[in-house]
Amino acid sequence: MHSVIYWFEELGKEHNDIVGKKCANLGEMVRMGLAVPPGFAIPIDMYRQFIKETGAEDEMSSYIKKFGETKGGGIQVFEEMSENLRSAIEKKEILPSAREYITSYYAELCNKTGTENVAVSVRSAGTESRPGMFESYLNVRGAEEVLEKIKKVWASAFTPRAIAFRVNKGLAILGDELGVAVQKMLNARASGIAFTVNPVDGDVSKITIEANWGLGESVVSGEVSVDTFQVDKSILEIASKHTGNKRRGVFYTETGVDWADIPTKKRSIPCILDEEAVEIARVAKSVEEKLESPQDMEWAIDQDIDFPRNIFWLQTRRAKVAAKKVESTSNHIAYLLAKKFRGF
Amino acid sequence: MKEETKGEVKLWDAVPGYDFNEEIDVPEMCSYFHDGVHSVPRLTPMYSWFYGRANPVGSQYASETLGIPTCKGWSQKIKDGSTYVAMHIIQDKEEVERRTAKFKEALVPWVEDFDGLWEGYKKELMGLYDHLKSLDLEKATNIDLLHHLWDMISTYRRMWEIHFLGMYTSMSALALIEEQVAHFGLTSESPEFQNMFRGFDNKVFQVDKQMSEFAKAAVKSGLSDLFNNNKAEDVLYKLEESDAGRKWKKDFYEFLQEEGWRMVRMMDFNEPYWLEEPSAAISVIQTFVGKGADFDLGAVRLELIEGREKAITELLQKVPEGEREWFRALINLGGKAGSYSEEHDLYCELYSHALIRRGLLGIGRRLVQAGTIDKPDDTLFLNPDEIEQVMLAPEFHKLQYIANRRRADWERLRFKETPPVFTERADMNEAVGKDLLPSGDVIIIKLVVGEMPKVKPELKADIYGVCGAPGVAEGTARVIFTYDQLHEVLPGEILVCPGTNPAWTPIFGVVKGVVADRGGTLSHTAIVGREYQVPTIVNCFEGTEKIKTGMKLRVDATQGAIYILD
Repeated sequence: MHSVIYWFEELGKEHNDIVGKKCANLGEMVRMGLAVPPGFAIPIDMYRQFIKETGAEDEMSSYIKKFGETKGGGIQVFEEMSENLRSAIEKKEILPSAREYITSYYAELCNKTGTENVAVSVRSAGTESRPGMFESYLNVRGAEEVLEKIKKVWASAFTPRAIAFRVNKGLAILGDELGVAVQKMLNARASGIAFTVNPVDGDVSKITIEANWGLGESVVSGEVSVDTFQVDKSILEIASKHTGNKRRGVFYTETGVDWADIPTKKRSIPCILDEEAVEIARVAKSVEEKLESPQDMEWAIDQDIDFPRNIFWLQTRRAKVAAKKVESTSNHIAYLLAKKFRGF
Repeated sequence: MKEETKGEVKLWDAVPGYDFNEEIDVPEMCSYFHDGVHSVPRLTPMYSWFYGRANPVGSQYASETLGIPTCKGWSQKIKDGSTYVAMHIIQDKEEVERRTAKFKEALVPWVEDFDGLWEGYKKELMGLYDHLKSLDLEKATNIDLLHHLWDMISTYRRMWEIHFLGMYTSMSALALIEEQVAHFGLTSESPEFQNMFRGFDNKVFQVDKQMSEFAKAAVKSGLSDLFNNNKAEDVLYKLEESDAGRKWKKDFYEFLQEEGWRMVRMMDFNEPYWLEEPSAAISVIQTFVGKGADFDLGAVRLELIEGREKAITELLQKVPEGEREWFRALINLGGKAGSYSEEHDLYCELYSHALIRRGLLGIGRRLVQAGTIDKPDDTLFLNPDEIEQVMLAPEFHKLQYIANRRRADWERLRFKETPPVFTERADMNEAVGKDLLPSGDVIIIKLVVGEMPKVKPELKADIYGVCGAPGVAEGTARVIFTYDQLHEVLPGEILVCPGTNPAWTPIFGVVKGVVADRGGTLSHTAIVGREYQVPTIVNCFEGTEKIKTGMKLRVDATQGAIYILD
């Protein structure tokens, strides 16, 4: 007996507890009509079955019991614990039935995308949102690698940070059980994020887009200067645009992804076109309207496809910033009036 | 002085420097568009002089003051009493950017306090008008009269500056709302949209209400028959025959001292104002009397206000919550803008024109005494330069020759057609596309020149225009060119005219449909048509030419189609 693997399009938010939040969201996004790169979801039950039947669960439990009181412990405590718990998972083999099942879904994905050993991302999907706490693996190719990385994602529930978080919150150390999203990676020319509310000042009249060459991880990390677009939400026109000096970005390597320098001549030219920014904003606005809450979204532009079908969506979630208005009403109207004059 | 008859160059053109010269003006500006909304019938030479200069400079002043992003107002030329405009479209993109920033800043006070700013400008205008009124024209010296002429010119210039500050801000607000409500499935023609901007209190309504009160007083005093059975001019004499009549007339004349500075034709000096000819106001009283003592304008207004609140509430429910606040502010601004578009005519054009007519007739009477001209209103066929030359020693000069020739020309040409555009472009559509729309100038685009009609062959209509107010009407045509012909219109007829102005408004309560040669969707004709819910077609260009009084018409305003049924 094994648990069911789902294609994203079979999922919705009602599957949150079965496949984890990220996967359920990807399903919702497909249902909303967003262009989402294809992929499948490994249910949390598959992890549970794995730790149970391989004996990893017993190993981990007895280790934790032996360890004793952890609350208030220093970082070394969590690091030591992390090492042990992760290896308890990683040194086990995925069960043969699950192995066969996952392999067949990956083969089907290769088939669907017309690519042999299609490059995928393998990402964690917990039932609760824990941004940045678990690990994700990009540019994974071949069934063996996919299986290996799924195991690593499961094990990433026990990073020192994640353990410390649960311990300090009074949650069970084994409490975070992860689903996994396996998704086709785009040949991304540029990627980034779109906020339907300004994360800094809470302005809801504009959509903020940040973009860099390559994969979105460089933008999400917030470490580099990126291109910034502000798109007026009501008339969907670019209100302001800043081209950052994009020195570094995240790109594919042979066996994964890594930071790399961006060639000098590409640093100061915008990595997306105005029309792409407006299209990203248009979609972001419609998602915000459908979900009736401000959104924080991740997108990527596939360089092998023509506009506007080249824009793909990787994630959307409720934006953290409380929506408040800083631009005065009259300033906003004056701004729209000024635009109007140019719109005939 | 005598008319130069030998040389080819006239001693005086009516509007020196502003006369349209096709060979020179068209290559300079590419396209000059006929302002059919404001210069049909054709303007008198004196009015051409005043309007031709002050109006375009006013538009340029307001454009510069506000930093209108795309356009520096317009240039205006006069062709035998018809006015033509050419837009100063800004080509330099960086300049557009700079002006956009300035415009945004300049608009904020208007968005925040439109009424307050307009109140201030109203006060300024009233101060200028009071100064003009304070001169006793009969006791004035010739020097006083000459200075009065200069005062009239500077007052008039300032009036247009203020006029366009208000127009650019209010009309662009209305255009913006039109665009924004489209997201919620409303068009500017839909009743839900119209209802949002009705029932605001303003001077036009207040005067109408006072007029309706006078009508009620007349009915109560037993004067109904007197008003119903006599021509407007005769009413004034008949009122002298009874105590009640004399009392009513006295009160009414007092009211006119305040509110009678109102021309019956908006855009010229050649027809009287109420205070000068109270019979013009009497005809409005007659309309109200005809509706009976029960007719309560206040109640009508209350209904409009209720309808407005309902329409606004319904729309706001459709607006996403985060955008509701500015949307509400925008609708509020739209209400002020709509109110301004009604009220400014009273304070700007109608009032100043009445005072200038008064001054020009006063000067005219003095010049008649000196033998310089034959009739006081001969001054309407001169220009200020000519008057200035003779004013301090009029008895030495003769200006009849010029005045008579120009009057004859004007009378001959008054109702003649004139081309809608002079252009280097292939046709009207190309001219509009290249030399008008890029200006972004909402006043000229949506009011003066207006949208171009679309010919829809499948409808097989005889004439095509633009929908000013939706609906379908069938009836007998009545072709009217001037205010003094309006009494010919019978209830249920379809009014066919060059265009309408505020003095014509009561006729919308009488007719079944309106067809106007010119005007855009924000022109007076269209706005009042919607207010009165009378099917109205604007910008059909050839209505008064093709349609004759008595023809049976079917007007499908929604489709912009006019059918001549016989």
